[in-house]
Amino acid sequence: MLGTLNQQPILYAAVLASVVPLIAFLLIMVVTRRRPRVSAGLSIVAITIAFACSVLLLVRYWGLAALLQVTGTWVTTGQFTVSIGFILDPLSLLMVTVVSGISLLVQVYSLGYMAGDPGFSRYYAYMSLFAWAMISLVLSPNLLQLYVFWELVGVSSYLLIGFWYEKFSASEAGKKAFVMTRLGDVAFLLGLLTLLIPLGNLDVLMLNSPDIGSTMPAGMLTLSALLIFGGVVGKSAQFPLLTWLPDAMEGPTPVSALLHSATMVAAGVFLFARIFPFFSQSPAAMTVFLAIGTISMLLAATMAMVARDIKQVWAYSTISQLGFMIMGLAAGGYVAGVFHLITHAGFKALLFLCAGVFIHVYDSNDMFEIGRQGGRRLKIPMACMIVGAAALSGLPPLSGFFSKEAIIGVLATQDNRLWLGAALVGVVLTAYYTFRLIFIMLFPSAGAPSPPPTSGHGHHGRDYWTMATPLLILAAVTLVLGFAQTPLTQFLLFGVDAGGDHGHGERGLLIAAIAGAVGGVLLAWFEFGRKGSPQIGFVERIPALATLFSERWYLDRIYRWLLDRVVYGVFSRLATWNDERIINDGVDAFSDRLVGSGRILATLHRGMIQYKLLVMFSVVALLGLYFFF
Amino acid sequence: MTLYSILFYILAAVILASTAMAITRRDMVHAVIYLVVSFFGSALLFYLLGAPLLAALEIIIYAGAIMVLFLFIVMMIRIRPSAGRLLSRVQLLPAIVMSGLYVVVGAFMVTGDTAGRGDFQPAVAAPETLGQYVFQQHWVTVEIASLLLLVALVGAMIIGGKSPPESHPPVEEKS
Amino acid sequence: MTVSFDHALVLAGALFIMGIFCVVVRRNLIMMLLGLEIMLNAASIALVGAALKWHHVEGQAIALFIMAVAATEVSIGLAMIVGFYRRTDTVDPNALEEFK
Repeated sequence: MLGTLNQQPILYAAVLASVVPLIAFLLIMVVTRRRPRVSAGLSIVAITIAFACSVLLLVRYWGLAALLQVTGTWVTTGQFTVSIGFILDPLSLLMVTVVSGISLLVQVYSLGYMAGDPGFSRYYAYMSLFAWAMISLVLSPNLLQLYVFWELVGVSSYLLIGFWYEKFSASEAGKKAFVMTRLGDVAFLLGLLTLLIPLGNLDVLMLNSPDIGSTMPAGMLTLSALLIFGGVVGKSAQFPLLTWLPDAMEGPTPVSALLHSATMVAAGVFLFARIFPFFSQSPAAMTVFLAIGTISMLLAATMAMVARDIKQVWAYSTISQLGFMIMGLAAGGYVAGVFHLITHAGFKALLFLCAGVFIHVYDSNDMFEIGRQGGRRLKIPMACMIVGAAALSGLPPLSGFFSKEAIIGVLATQDNRLWLGAALVGVVLTAYYTFRLIFIMLFPSAGAPSPPPTSGHGHHGRDYWTMATPLLILAAVTLVLGFAQTPLTQFLLFGVDAGGDHGHGERGLLIAAIAGAVGGVLLAWFEFGRKGSPQIGFVERIPALATLFSERWYLDRIYRWLLDRVVYGVFSRLATWNDERIINDGVDAFSDRLVGSGRILATLHRGMIQYKLLVMFSVVALLGLYFFF
Repeated sequence: MTLYSILFYILAAVILASTAMAITRRDMVHAVIYLVVSFFGSALLFYLLGAPLLAALEIIIYAGAIMVLFLFIVMMIRIRPSAGRLLSRVQLLPAIVMSGLYVVVGAFMVTGDTAGRGDFQPAVAAPETLGQYVFQQHWVTVEIASLLLLVALVGAMIIGGKSPPESHPPVEEKS
Repeated sequence: MTVSFDHALVLAGALFIMGIFCVVVRRNLIMMLLGLEIMLNAASIALVGAALKWHHVEGQAIALFIMAVAATEVSIGLAMIVGFYRRTDTVDPNALEEFK
């Protein structure tokens, strides 16, 4: 391992990128916990170093022809070998850059957002931990190492969601996120084991080799693929494990921005992309993934149509967009899915950070409230939010348009037209709910705007600018990233132009996608934007539907019911009965006899146990001496 | 001085130091934590001495299960560290004499027998080998050990589960 | 200087003495139990060293059983300590005088 490193010293940058945040975390936790400013500085310096390293690597290896892997053996036991190290291929290079870049921006932004919070140091420590886990996850060359960091990502997001742990709902939300993602992770672990037994190791390279299909039976392969996908479902909040993500909004807003764009939920889709060739060996599994992606996308989009909480809307849209990525990947569009992952990371972070500014200034999450209080006076966040929203809706020429269009192109190559139709419906709904939010905030209906908020932060104070700068950067990236589609595609495919992967050229499709997005925007304009509009969505005119959507399709209720009836009602009851009747009573009867006989012997014992022990040990020692002479 | 021996002595020093700290702590939580460090050291030592399975088990059972059990109990019974002398003189002096005896016996054992002089020839017993050996040569012992664990489980439930008769006068047993 | 079996034995012996010392001197049942753990661990170290010395896994097998015994001993011992504490509100071994 060291040999390879020494041949190409630039690889040390990868090591550095994946270690520095950990050092920052440890230093903050151990040394500088009482000094918030130093802690924040440490954390930001660390993530800046990581970002610089990843940009360096990206530039150095731009146009890489074959992937690079540096590994050493970690554990060998019997026939199993687990290696440790890192892998550099277009996917991991891009993701590292995105992860460290967005972490950096979010951390800078948090300087303003979290200013004065009593847990400031702790916050930055967790942020570093999060960044470390995610960067290392992205660089992992085998699934076991990936799994370790996968869980670390889970832990650190648990810590961050429940950051304000004095608040009951926050700690509950953290717990819920942790437990629900764990559910998926159990499936993931089982999947890894089903792979480990026949294959003997879990290297990504080996899983992705085309002849994996010949080393294990097809049924087994499908089973492992489905089980591993369970992990993706949990992490990326897909149906049916999607309800933790909206609750995770209890954390500080920058955390949501990080969680929803580059780290936590992206990990799931990243895993899909990481072993994409493996998954695509099993067409049956891919169809299941496609269905799950579609269901999640549509379900979440409907939920977003009635939410009033600005963060909730973005949360649902994250689920929906993740479903969209999974649809793209499952339909065989590796590049389209990854490209959407990257663009989505940019604009979703932007949207959340903008929402954070509003929440910080107006101290409210409700979009009607913010609109009434005159949200549009905050020019920079409002403008940035519109840019982000347009990208989310897929309006040209923003980044989201290109990546969505790529996914739709891929879906069009599927035989079944159902998926394409669902995707187009999704585009319309996305544009609708996004612009519903924008119009509500831009054109508040009820009367004159109230006087500017009296909260003490001067809008143009230092806090404001530390928050606004990352917004501007992200908005700029969102504006230009779409045009990088061709070079990115070539890079991701190692310079080989694999034609049909991205479905360009179908003019009709392009028009349909744009028309869908514009149609959604117009519908939103008609209901919320135009003068004298009622500001009531068409969904809300049908009370049954509105309740269904705002209750999240009763998913949480169903889970609760299942938990109460099946788990507590049947399994626990049986276990309790077994405990009380068979184990307790049987053991009692048996031991009562023993205790009875023990009482007779107990008369022989008296106290002063330590002196007795002392004498005993001394005698043993003397016996030893006697033995040697 | 090979790397092997450097590692060995470092580990030995860590184990001895942390154990010494553990047995002299007034606060039992600290004592347990120091002992966990000591057990981690022992686990690494086992690994060094070619027993990877035992190294893993040492961490899982000793450091993981047993020490956590201790922590539970220490926290459960919330005993206040006593204010007086940590080691009473009446007990300390005889104990020192006795330890001296042990040192003497140990010295005789180590110096009196030359079989232990030669250097270690590093070797590793693969978990598979150990497992096959245990289940082939010692299967009766395995059975006995499992029975022992069962008895321990039952015994712990009985001893720990019952509340003392005088402090809780006859509460009717639930079902 | 390289490691020989004697060195492992010396380490195990020192640990064992510490364990005995803890059992005999600390006036606290929980610490006494900890001392027992230390002694058992010392024995395991000696056995693993012996296994390496003679290149035979017997020593490791015995160390494995020691772990089982240690687990047993701790669970019973701690249960007894809890029971004892409930009755007497102390973990001082001298209070065992009244406890039969």
